[in-house]
Amino acid sequence: MWVPIALGRDVPKGTTRAVIVEGRELALWRGESGSVQVWEDRCPHRGMRLSFGFVRGDSLNCLYHGWEYGTAASCRRIPAHPDLDVPSTIKARAFPVAEAAGMIWTRDSGEEPMPALPDARPLVSLAIEARPELVLMVSAAAPQGGAQIFADEVDGMTFHIGWHQVDDNKTMLHCTTRVAADPLLALGAMRALRERAERRAA
Amino acid sequence: MSLKLHDYVLSAECYAVRLMLSLCRLKYERVAVDAYPGNAEAPVLFDSDTDTELHDAGIILTYLAREYDIQWMPQEHGQAVARWLAFAATDLATLSAARRIATLGAPGDLAMAVKTGRAALRVLEDALTDQSLSGQDWLVWEKPSIADIAVFPAVALSHDSGVGHEDYPAINLWQRRVRKLRGFVGMPGVPDYF
Amino acid sequence: MTTEPAALNQWYTLGACKDFGQGASARRLLGENLSVTRQGERFIVSASGRFLPVKTDFGHLWTSLGTPARGLFDMPEVKEVDRRHIYCGAVTVRASGLRLVENFLDLAHFPYVHSDILGIEDKPEVAKYEVEQRREVDELWATKCEFFQPKAAAASAGGQISQYMYRVVTPFNVILYKTSPNAPNRWDVIALFVQPVEPDLSIAHPFMLMIDETSSDAELIGFQQMIFLQDKIVLENQRPRLLPLQPGRETPTRADLSSVLYRRWLKEKELTYGTEERSDRVA
Repeated sequence: MWVPIALGRDVPKGTTRAVIVEGRELALWRGESGSVQVWEDRCPHRGMRLSFGFVRGDSLNCLYHGWEYGTAASCRRIPAHPDLDVPSTIKARAFPVAEAAGMIWTRDSGEEPMPALPDARPLVSLAIEARPELVLMVSAAAPQGGAQIFADEVDGMTFHIGWHQVDDNKTMLHCTTRVAADPLLALGAMRALRERAERRAA
Repeated sequence: MSLKLHDYVLSAECYAVRLMLSLCRLKYERVAVDAYPGNAEAPVLFDSDTDTELHDAGIILTYLAREYDIQWMPQEHGQAVARWLAFAATDLATLSAARRIATLGAPGDLAMAVKTGRAALRVLEDALTDQSLSGQDWLVWEKPSIADIAVFPAVALSHDSGVGHEDYPAINLWQRRVRKLRGFVGMPGVPDYF
Repeated sequence: MTTEPAALNQWYTLGACKDFGQGASARRLLGENLSVTRQGERFIVSASGRFLPVKTDFGHLWTSLGTPARGLFDMPEVKEVDRRHIYCGAVTVRASGLRLVENFLDLAHFPYVHSDILGIEDKPEVAKYEVEQRREVDELWATKCEFFQPKAAAASAGGQISQYMYRVVTPFNVILYKTSPNAPNRWDVIALFVQPVEPDLSIAHPFMLMIDETSSDAELIGFQQMIFLQDKIVLENQRPRLLPLQPGRETPTRADLSSVLYRRWLKEKELTYGTEERSDRVA
């Protein structure tokens, strides 16, 4: 199943972002060409988290020894051996990735296509110290057709919220709106949701 | 050279001063003091031009901005700057304390320090989100100020006490902006280059 | 707590002698709580009421939870009168002690983790070096290592090509020798004594024997601490935290010759503490 794990806006060109999904560490990054990648957060050399690395052009370089990976996840250059033709077997583990509805999505396994979702304006990604079931209950959410995204009506504003489970006690919400809303009011509504969920969890 | 800094390479407060000096392109004499395992005090800034001796990172940053590069201290936002300097000295100080406990074996309750440190990061995350939705990339207004410099070290070094930035997308983007500033210098735990 | 002989029958440091106050203090080693009592210059170390062997070589307190086959390794440089003895304090790292040793042996990270100090990005090549297992003393040596360094030591004024030698004396203790910028025909000695607290938690005790008449203690300590803290952010973010010994889990290259030999040596000793292959791992 496709899972939204970040707002596209939060991974601009040239940046990396570490995300934890169901206890697993993932590295998100976007090169100059604009396509975003979702990889296991682990360099195959000595296991260093790739989210600490740096983006140069369309490559992600590991912080530890500077190993350079292209968007196809294969290692292109090993600085300690500048003349080495890097074997194609040396690659980071890449996951399927899609961008839709203002969010970055990934999936673990399976073949189902990405659900069709309309474009949306990104608002905020919020970490909530509560299990997903609790968050969904508190927001009286109506899940939308198999994807981890739901609609929520607050104070006359409609939010389209993607979510992913971080670990046993934490959920991340990726909040968007489809029509313009006053940003401060909208943020206030989402933070109120965060507060309600955490109060229930305590 | 009129400026002299008593400095300890691993201190987050000293780093704030070193960073400010570098961003302002100020030359200074650096005197390494042994704050750990020794007990010397740092940061301490001496300015022989004005016969000044200053302790405390917030006070030093304010002085450097007023004396040498006023763009870092926007007059119209003085209150907001002061609030963030206080935030850095108190709320964020728990993150620095967590770092000392986790790394240097200082006495203290690590779990508690981390919990209050995370609460401080959430405050910062929410503030940065508010700023960016009003179209501003920095803490106080549309340009970096000493508020950003005072807050940056403890936040950038939070990994040292096991607090990553996975929960804080706005902090992730803001700290990258800080690292791209002309004259930026890193420190152990904050890589220099991008 | 471990019952593994390969881990128990070794000497470990608990820190610099001078960092222990008079009277009682607590330390932790291989998952066990230790009591240390200092009376003047005498140290008594016990675990669960049982007295442990004690040594105070190199200004550090050493003990063992088992019966080591050999005495403590030697460091003859400690007796050279013109050397500064620099104790860099204890740094806690949330990583397997074996990863700390491997990182200490590694050259390829200099241009990245210690950029503009121990290496620069446009000179990242690691030239071929030699490794050998000296079975008669049960130590690993890497020799003829070379690297261009913009700032090799606290006292360095400009770049130099540093020669390095590495000597792994026990699985958790490693010493490096590098060309001294102040005395071209002699080596500066930098040791890393690792105290494994848990399989994924270590306390590092860097210790140096330097030839340097000009730098202050604070400068020497600051330089080494800076280098070590730059490594810490890497060490704590390697996955898995425990060293994986299974082939295929990680990808060594020729520059990693020391660590390949080191892992083989650990397997020979049947040491699994700090590795993924621990047989007595508590759930």
